[in-house]
This record gives sequence, C-alpha cells and structure tokens, in this order.
Amino acid sequence: MNGIRLFFLRIYAVAFKEALHVRRDVQTMIMALVMPVVLVLLFGFGVSFDLDHLAIAVADQDHTPASRAVAHALETSSDLRLVGGLDSAADAEQAFHRGDAVGVLVVPRGFAAKLARGEPSDVQLLVAGSDGSTAIQVLAKAEAVIGASAARFAAPGASVSLPISVATYIRYNPEGRSALMIVPGLVAYILAIIAVLLTALAIAREWERGSMEQLFCTPVGRVEIVVGKLLPYLVLGVIAVLLVLAAGAWVFDVPFRGDLWTLAAAAVLFLIGMLGQGLVISVLARNQMIATQAGVLSSMLPSMLLSGFLFPVENLPTPLRIFSNLVPARHFIAALRGVLLRGNGFAELSGELLALAAFAATMLLIAALRFRRRLD
Amino acid sequence: MSTVLETSGLFRRFGKTEALRGVDVSVRRGELVGLVGPDGAGKTTLVRVLAGLLAPDAGTVRVLGRDPSKDPTVREAMGVMPQRYSLYGDLSIAENLQFFGRLFGLRKKDFDERTKRLLDITRLAPFTERRADALSGGMYKKLALACALLHQPEVLLLDEPTNGVDPVSRRELWELLHELVAQGMGVLLATPSMDEAARCHRVILLDQGRVLADGPPELLVRELDHPVLEVLGGDRNVVDAALLAHPDVRAASPAGTRLRVVLAPGSTERVRVALAALGARMTPVVADFEDVFLARTAHHEAVAEAGAEARAS
Repeated sequence: MNGIRLFFLRIYAVAFKEALHVRRDVQTMIMALVMPVVLVLLFGFGVSFDLDHLAIAVADQDHTPASRAVAHALETSSDLRLVGGLDSAADAEQAFHRGDAVGVLVVPRGFAAKLARGEPSDVQLLVAGSDGSTAIQVLAKAEAVIGASAARFAAPGASVSLPISVATYIRYNPEGRSALMIVPGLVAYILAIIAVLLTALAIAREWERGSMEQLFCTPVGRVEIVVGKLLPYLVLGVIAVLLVLAAGAWVFDVPFRGDLWTLAAAAVLFLIGMLGQGLVISVLARNQMIATQAGVLSSMLPSMLLSGFLFPVENLPTPLRIFSNLVPARHFIAALRGVLLRGNGFAELSGELLALAAFAATMLLIAALRFRRRLD
Repeated sequence: MSTVLETSGLFRRFGKTEALRGVDVSVRRGELVGLVGPDGAGKTTLVRVLAGLLAPDAGTVRVLGRDPSKDPTVREAMGVMPQRYSLYGDLSIAENLQFFGRLFGLRKKDFDERTKRLLDITRLAPFTERRADALSGGMYKKLALACALLHQPEVLLLDEPTNGVDPVSRRELWELLHELVAQGMGVLLATPSMDEAARCHRVILLDQGRVLADGPPELLVRELDHPVLEVLGGDRNVVDAALLAHPDVRAASPAGTRLRVVLAPGSTERVRVALAALGARMTPVVADFEDVFLARTAHHEAVAEAGAEARAS
C-alpha cells in the first residue's frame, strides 16, 4: 500500500518539478503553444494545391466569331488566364520556352465552317509538361471550359449524345479546397516535431546540468521519471492541439463533423507516442544538441513524407508503404480527417487508435528499459 | 561500532585510465572519514561507485549490507552530495527541498519539521524563495547538504562539500557534520584539503587509484619516519633547483619565505651537506598531515605542485 503511495507521490514530484521548469521557461512555452498556431496559419495560407490563373495563350488561325468565342470562354474562367494571342502554333514553342504560358490553345483554320456544317470540329491544346501537376490541371481545366461551352458552338439541330454520362460528386470537400486536406496533416506534422523536441530536450537538459546525478541518488525509479516527465508536456500538447484546431476552424473553416472523444483519444495517444519518442532519443543522446537534431529528423521526415500529409500513402513504393504503418502521424492524420471531415467516431477509427496506442506503449517501454540509472 | 560502508578490491577503469586500482575502504557508524588525495586520485569515482552511480569493474561494495548498484532500496538510507552543481537552478530553495522530500516519500509533518530545522542550522531560512542559481557558492552547498539530509540517512557521502565555500560557511558546515556524526551517522567526505582531512576521525589517503594510508591523522603524523625541515639562506632559485634534483628530497614546497622539505628516511645529513655547499642550512620542524601526504605520494614534481596549491588555498 505504501509502495503504491510512494510510486504516485514520486511521479507527482517529478511532474510538478517539470511543470515548474516549463512555467519558468518562456522559450518552451512559445515553442509548444505559439509555434503550432503560427505554423498552421503560415502553411495554411502558403501551401495550396489549388492552381488558379494558369497562363494560357490562344493561337487563333480561324479569325471567326466562333473562334473568338472559344478564346473568350477561356478568358472568363477564373482558373485560367489568357495571356495573349499568338500567330501560329509554331509560336507556342517560344511561349513555353520563355515561360509566358503553360498552355496554348490552337484553333485551326476552318473551325467555324466545320461547326456550321455540323461536323466534328477539333481544337488543339498544347501543354508544357515541365511541371507535371500543373500540366494535368491545365488539361483538365481547359477541357472542362471548352467542353462546357461546346454546346453553344454547335450548329442548331446537331445534337451531341454520348452512350454513358458520368456525373461526378465530391463528398466531404465539394469545393475541393486544399485547406481541408492540409490542416489535419499540418496539425499532425507540427505536433509531431514539437512533441518529440519537448521531451528530447527535457531529459538531455537534466544530463547536461548535472541534476541527473542527484536524481539517481534518490529512490526514484525509471518508470516514475519517464511518466512524471511526460505528464506536463502531455497537458501542454493537448492545449496545443486545441489551439491549432480552433485556428483551423476559425481561419480556414475546417469543419468538425465527428466525435469529439474519438479525436481526444487519438490526440492523447498520438502525443504520448511522440513524447515517448522524444524520451527514447534523450535517453540515448545525453546532450541537447544531438537530441535536437535527432528529434527533428526522426519526427519531421516521416511525418511529412510517409504520413499522407503531402502525398497519398498509396503512391509510396511498397517497402516505404509498409514502413509508413509505423509512423504515428499517418494514423493521426487519418483519424483527424475521419473525425473532422467524414464525421467518424470510435467504430470507424478503431484501427488508427489501436496503431497509435501500440506505438505509444512501445516508445514508453523502450524509454523505461533503455533508461539506465547509471552515470556511465 | 558497526560498519555501515565497506568495499573490497574495487577496480574501475575509463578507457585507458585506471581510476580505481584495488580500493578497500570502510566507514563505521558515528565515524567521520576523510578521503584525501590530489585531483585525479579517484575520489569522485570512488564516491560514485559507493553511491551506486557507477558499477565497479571488479570488487564489492556493501552499504548497510546491500549492494547499491543492484539494490536501490539502500538509497532510502543514504545521502549523497555530488561535487558538481546538481540541484535545479531555476527552482527556489523551498522548491528544491520539496522535490527531494517528495522523492524520499516524506510525510508533510516530517518534511515541515526537518526543513525548518535544516534551514535554521544552515541559516538559509530567509532565502527560501531565492532560486538556486542565484545563491552564493556557500549557500548552494548548504542547500545541497540540506537536500541530502532531508530523509535522515544513516550513511552520508560528500564529494568536496566545502569547495568554493567561504570560511564562515565552511565552519558552519563542519559543525553540522560533527553534530550528525555524534548522533551516529557514518560520513565519508572526499576533499583535496589537508586541513579538513586533519579534522576527520580517520583519513584514507588515495593517490592514482590506490589507498596509500588509512588511519587517524594524528597517528599517521606520529608514525611519519620522513624528516621534515625548513631550508634557510642561499640563492632561492639555485637551492630550489638543487632540491628538486636531489634523489633524497621527497617534496619541496614554499612555506612563507622559506622552503619546506620532506626527506627520505635517514637522509638528513646527506642533504645538509649538499645544501651547505650552496650556502643554505636546514632546521627541523614539526610534521603535519600535509607532510604525511607529501611523503606518501610518489611523484616528486607533481606532488610539489599539488602541495604548493594546497598551501596557497
């Protein structure tokens, strides 16, 4: 009975002391609470996969009202921007080379005449392929604009009928806004780095200032140190999650459609896992500089590249895709998108929660086992 | 008196350096034992091994009958004051005490009583809200001692506790130590200071990882068979050089305006003749503990330097 009292008293002692450090260390507070919000705002405004105002040039060889109408249709689209007329298709090469345009629409001679006869009339779209994702978007958008206005150009009576008509609806994010995809990813990415750093520095600092020696002269155990160190930073991390989600909702209109408790569970498990990773690093690296570098690298790269934040996990090469299952950010991002956008709860996200819990438990176990109560 | 701390045949190396080479020491209940030796003798390594912070490569450690590197329960009865600054600088005196009080599982009533008493003895009571960083060297050491005494240990290990402490605080620390020892605590105190060593019940002389002498300081002085003399006259630099080169001179160190020498047993006449040629003469003086230290430690020049430093400080 007394053993249990001492166990919790020591955890409380370590956590209380650590909280005093945090409260007096303005730098840590700023890093934990202000940085995530600032980064989400910066990235949220700065990073966007939506391309608009793509520069398009038109080489009108037909010079008819119909060909001018096609050019006008492009001009009025908000996604595309008409940068000028070219005399011939040959000039397109030069426009690409100079970077004036990423796409050139060529309307051949006889375009209007064919339309008037009710025959299929072709236009040619040249796209600069040097930037793959831009090229794809130009193609898609120009096609959509031209397709939408094609009916207006067709001669009266010439009906266009296709055997299958495809109607596309995008659920959860009907406007296709990047912010809705990016904010959950950013939350996980930023918190991963900060959570790892917080604890990585906390123990390395104790080694550097020599207090570990005095600490080891007391009856405090490894588990008590590890858990006690973790608790204040967990509280700090939860506050940071709330701040970032509030910023996302307020500035980027990120919705909250699912179960709050599922999200809370995912966030706490994710934070314990990342804080635990920081503990493992600081148990192995006894100075703050090495701990910082190892902490940033080990949290930033997987959370950015192997988490589905920037690239879909399905696109990764098979070995990396398998490895990505070990990256907590991947599961946390899935859970965030699930709760925020798809309105999910415990039932749908149990797999993610389980993965996060497994990672957290593993990290704490390694930290406690590798943490030797010795100076050598 | 029962033994509270005992080692036998301790060895410990760091890479190529052999810090401990077969060390046997013991401390009994109610005994104040000084661990003396020059810097690099292995004092801190020995204290850390005794505290269970380092494991020995060979040999055994028993503190209250238990092995501190394997049985952590012994920490509940052991107080340690490391040489390095190892409290929390951004925490106040009261917060540091509270932290260690909780780690030792003290009940509030015990904690309040003991801190009040320790703060009174150390005269830190008016400064409880001051951060440890902002304390003077002496106040810091007193706080560290208070933290090590909170749980009323049976064994106390102190690594250079008066290093950087002003004479007044130093005397207060010693008074407190004598009081604790009188109540039955076993204390091992590592120090480079010969003065402090001479005030212990028993002194263990450690050099290059070996115990060179072990006994009450006055007995060690009485048993010293090396003549100790002061050198007068002659050209100081010439005499100095001649003494350093002379095979019978174990140590030569400045004492005020004179030179104090420790000679090999039975060599006084030979050295007297050599010095007479340089116009210098010698008069016998009463040996003190530092002479014991100088006579026992091997290397001529290294010892002369350490002796000079010890006298200067």
